[in-house]
Amino acid sequence: MVRLRFFAALRERMGPARTETLAPGTTVGALWRSLVAEHPELTRFQVRFAVNEEYVTASHRLADDDEVAFFPPVSGG
Amino acid sequence: MLRVRRTPISMERLARAVRDPKAGAIVVFLGTTRVHNEGRRVVRLEYEAFAGMAEREMQALVDRARRRWRLCRVAMAHRTGVVPVGQVSVGVAVSSGHRAEAFAACRWLIDRLKRTVPIWKREHFRGGCVWIGATPGAPRVAARRKVRRRRR
Repeated sequence: MVRLRFFAALRERMGPARTETLAPGTTVGALWRSLVAEHPELTRFQVRFAVNEEYVTASHRLADDDEVAFFPPVSGG
Repeated sequence: MLRVRRTPISMERLARAVRDPKAGAIVVFLGTTRVHNEGRRVVRLEYEAFAGMAEREMQALVDRARRRWRLCRVAMAHRTGVVPVGQVSVGVAVSSGHRAEAFAACRWLIDRLKRTVPIWKREHFRGGCVWIGATPGAPRVAARRKVRRRRR
């Protein structure tokens, strides 16, 4: 099981969190593409990924119990 | 002191957090919420943070700054929730033996914070609100103005 979290504009579309069971070796990018396939309105969002609170690229492979976060480019300050 | 909280940011507290007998300089930067952005009159700003990761990213920036400059102490704070116009939304304080390091590190830290720390801004104006930078069509984070350097 992997925990998915969403922030800011993405949280408004997807809710704050959910869990998913993934095939072993699924990448973060593949998971994002499956979310976009389910929710086509996500296409227009720019997205950044973090796994267990660290930035990763789309090719990062997920492991059981990971927490993956999806969010727009940051805009604090 | 690294803090991502709903409570107001106090300049006094930031400065006090970096006091150090070895320091000869304390530089404090405060970012405040501006009334105009890209031609819109802003009513208030609202910030959302990925709190755990935000504090980790801040710590990573502090570690990098310490490798680059000789610093005594560093403090960073960012507000979440609604911040009315004209109030402090972010603060960075740095102390060092001499002022050059404190100025340089403070500038670097606030620039990096705005690029990597997972916090998002929603701008509320009359007639609507928008998440800054979320979609290509949406208002972007204001570009850093180019400073013209003149040689003396």
